[in-house]
Amino acid sequence: MAIWKRYFLRSRKESGELRAPGQAGACPTKSPLLWLLEKEWRELLVSRSWWVLLVVMGPLAGVSFIGAVKTYAEVSGLNGTSAGVGEALAPLVGVWAPTFSACELVAVFLLPFVAIRMVAGDRQSGALKLEMQQGLPPWVRMGAKALVLLAGWLLAMLPPLSALVLWKFYGGTLYPPELATLIAGHVLNAGLTIALAAAMSSFTEHPSTAAILTLSVTVGTWILDIFGGVQGGIWERAAGYIPAALVSQFEHGLWRLDTTLIALALIAAGLLLAAIWMQLGVAVRRRAYESLGLGVLAAAAIGACTFITPSWDNSESRSNSFPEADERALRRIHGPLRIDVHLAPEDGRRVELERQALSKLRRAMPKVEVRYVSSTSIGLFEQTAAGYGEIWYDLGGRRSMSRVTTAEGVLESIYSLANVTPPAGNDAAVFRGHPLAVTAKGAGTLFYGVWPGLFLAMGILVRRRLQ
Amino acid sequence: MGFMLLEVAGFCKRFGRITALKDVGFHVEAGEVLGLIGPNGAGKSTLFECLAGVLPADSGAVRAGGAVLDERARRPLLFYVPDGIAPWPQQPVRWALDYTIGFLGGRGDLRVEVIEQLALEALLPQTIGTLSKGQRKRVLLAIGLLTAQPALLIDEPFDGLDLRQAREIAAALRTHAARGRTLFLSIHQIGDAARLCDRFVLLSGGRVCGEGTVAQLAALAKRPDGDLEEVFLALT
Repeated sequence: MAIWKRYFLRSRKESGELRAPGQAGACPTKSPLLWLLEKEWRELLVSRSWWVLLVVMGPLAGVSFIGAVKTYAEVSGLNGTSAGVGEALAPLVGVWAPTFSACELVAVFLLPFVAIRMVAGDRQSGALKLEMQQGLPPWVRMGAKALVLLAGWLLAMLPPLSALVLWKFYGGTLYPPELATLIAGHVLNAGLTIALAAAMSSFTEHPSTAAILTLSVTVGTWILDIFGGVQGGIWERAAGYIPAALVSQFEHGLWRLDTTLIALALIAAGLLLAAIWMQLGVAVRRRAYESLGLGVLAAAAIGACTFITPSWDNSESRSNSFPEADERALRRIHGPLRIDVHLAPEDGRRVELERQALSKLRRAMPKVEVRYVSSTSIGLFEQTAAGYGEIWYDLGGRRSMSRVTTAEGVLESIYSLANVTPPAGNDAAVFRGHPLAVTAKGAGTLFYGVWPGLFLAMGILVRRRLQ
Repeated sequence: MGFMLLEVAGFCKRFGRITALKDVGFHVEAGEVLGLIGPNGAGKSTLFECLAGVLPADSGAVRAGGAVLDERARRPLLFYVPDGIAPWPQQPVRWALDYTIGFLGGRGDLRVEVIEQLALEALLPQTIGTLSKGQRKRVLLAIGLLTAQPALLIDEPFDGLDLRQAREIAAALRTHAARGRTLFLSIHQIGDAARLCDRFVLLSGGRVCGEGTVAQLAALAKRPDGDLEEVFLALT
């Protein structure tokens, strides 16, 4: 009788004292994946480290934005600076790259801790042992974590995004394609951080070890960047794919398919690696073999991606491209072009040549081979050597030499070698910039008061409600 | 007692030079309360973890209905509740139970009953991380009892509980077993095991020293009038 009552007359109790008011309880129609996503979301919401990240993001973005607006205004003629200088400045480089640099800082120093807490927390608490008995594939569980962390990151980007509204309010112009590129770069960068932290958390027994390893890898990429700058060659090329270089490209409005695909491959590899090592029931040796296989696959995918050339210059100023007339002229030159540059990696002229001309040339002409030749890294003691500083152009067997490192000089050499008449300059197509001499009114209140206060209050309320 | 639910054979597990399990074999009958008893370090938790597939065994097989079950195939059959964990420490007990029903495919129809049996009403709004050891154990037992698998492996179900709670929970476990749920309990307190279990697997030093009812074990130990403690000491 008692059992009959328990099974058939339980509705009063279920809706009564055994459930808190307003608590819906288990929903049988929700799939395990939705339950998992809800659980990960709740775990993020009760995570102090995520709320700290949100609170810090406002002031960090504020410092960058206020400083950038001030500099932009001064260059635009505020307080006696010569008017017209700002014509060369684009908001992307002058304001948005520095403002969103807060995201880069937070992605490097705070986001890993949030991700590590999310991934390592289950193992630390023992929840993993319960959840893995459900039978969902580990990559699904890891994917759910990554998805929620990425959603959390998008929320964290609200303070720098609010700067766009302020800028518009000041009378500034916004160019959506370059802003979308910039934001995409920071989302990809966050994805890389999440994948790295997830992989490290699954390798290690303790979150602090995972944090040290994650930061070590980040520092390692910086070392690679420095090393590439000094050594040149393959190191320099590899350094072009580190997260900092990726963000830098997107900050300049350049969307490169190879970089994007490599970042996505790294994210997928990191998350899959984490999933492999979260399979506590699989022998360590098998996990090691699976990791090795994954590493080989990832390396092959990354290697293949380096041969992909398409890229899009989404900057309003076309800062990553030659003028359109020059690009049309270059596309008409079909012969393979080889350029031998006799400049050391740390020579300022080489840096200028690469940034101002060769990077644009690679985008405009698919058959370009650039070879850097130097016997030292700084070039200081090579200055007197014969041939140092020379740039040799070889187009289908015809050769010429120049020492000019500007974009105009490089184009002139190529046109001359190809017997192509340089296109006439088009003044109308030249980017004139958007000077704006304003003060960052209200920004201090928004970034130092409203955002941190809002996140702090929300953090307290949400945590209290959920717990 | 019912038909044979599982047969475990040849389970071995080493941690470096230490042998945690050596050729462990026994069988589990449907609807029984089977006690895995042994001193600390006998390999009880390791055995449970290997059976549940949360720790890889070096060798060994689990059979049901004549077929060998790999870790994936065992999932619909058994669920393991580890000892000493505090899952989802920042979430309230109420949510953890709902999550068990929703995510782990547990039985929503048992929710009210299990809360009553384990006296969890007052704990529902509390976060798991703030619970005492005994309270946490009750929540873990609730999670286990709410799952739908026919066999439930519980590591140290009475650890952290006082005498009264231990007795109440033993009664609750008996109720679930009476309805056909198979319980396999790892217990190091032999008195608790003797009160609750139908049969026993004695584990010592990673080996099975005996399997059966108290009478069968007593016969094996050649102590026909001995209680479980005496039998255990004689066999291990």
